Amino acid sequence: MALHLKDKEAYQRLNYLYQAAHCVLAQNPENVELARFYCFSQKTIAKRLVLRQDPSVKRTLCKRCCSLLIPGVTATTRQKRNKTRFTVMRCLSCGQRKTLLNNPDYCLWADR
Amino acid sequence: MEEGLVRVPIPRELVDVLGVEPQSSFKAKAFTEAFLKNSIQQPRRHDLKNMLSHKAVILGYRRPKKERRKSAKARGLNARQKRELKVFQIKPEHQRYQLFLPLHELWRRYIIDLCGGLKPTSNPQVVQQKLLKADFHGAILTVVRSKCPSYVGTSGILLQEFKHVFKIITRDDKLKVIPKRNSVFAVEINGFVSHIYGSKFEYRAGERAAKKFKVKGTIDL
Repeated sequence: MALHLKDKEAYQRLNYLYQAAHCVLAQNPENVELARFYCFSQKTIAKRLVLRQDPSVKRTLCKRCCSLLIPGVTATTRQKRNKTRFTVMRCLSCGQRKTLLNNPDYCLWADR
Repeated sequence: MEEGLVRVPIPRELVDVLGVEPQSSFKAKAFTEAFLKNSIQQPRRHDLKNMLSHKAVILGYRRPKKERRKSAKARGLNARQKRELKVFQIKPEHQRYQLFLPLHELWRRYIIDLCGGLKPTSNPQVVQQKLLKADFHGAILTVVRSKCPSYVGTSGILLQEFKHVFKIITRDDKLKVIPKRNSVFAVEINGFVSHIYGSKFEYRAGERAAKKFKVKGTIDL
């Protein structure tokens, strides 16, 4: 796929912010605010330039407070069972829940 | 006895099965403590007791209204939330400059990857164009010239970039808040020094990625 040059730099910037948030959390697991700031920056840039992000990246960001969700450190992961099986991730800082369906055969909108 | 169980590292068979990296004891301790702090809720209860003892508690009866607000989508992003959470709290005193050195390394690698070379190769113009769109979180900034002489010479790692202000942590573990206006900052990578006129950079970090810069006005302090 031919990426336009401006977008490529923007994607690199998004990627760097994501990695920086992980790095900061790895150094100091109590400092959630800085990681949240970087993820907020990331979301703003993606919004401004209308860039598509991979679902695997979007799933680790909280939609409400934009903090980085790491099961065990910033978020709680539980399994629920209602005919189908759900995985419920709860952000510890804002209490926002995220429900994901456990379907091993699910294929994303990888290619339209 | 039970405390010892919490701090035991993962046995080797489990490591192979789970595909997980066992952490050093220092990091594991930091993580467990953070997790425990998050799970325990005591300080709030003390606050409640204080509140109840000083204020008069109104006992009243209201008819229970039927409230049906089912919002499955993620609401939020109120100004209230932002005030509550986003900005730094008093943690930098808690944190040391050394903890941000890996972040700086990451930034260096990112910039080298972005520009694709060192000083002798491509002309400064191209590099500067890329720097305009790049991100400065984690860079070491130095104030070179400024209208306010007490700012000159301050240098440290950039932690947060707001609309008019940079937040920097210096080597003495001090959080400095430096306004962008009327100051010139110097960023240094691999021997390539670039001066940034703060007055032209007064945009939010995210906005700057989308901004097209034009040559307007004089470049003076």
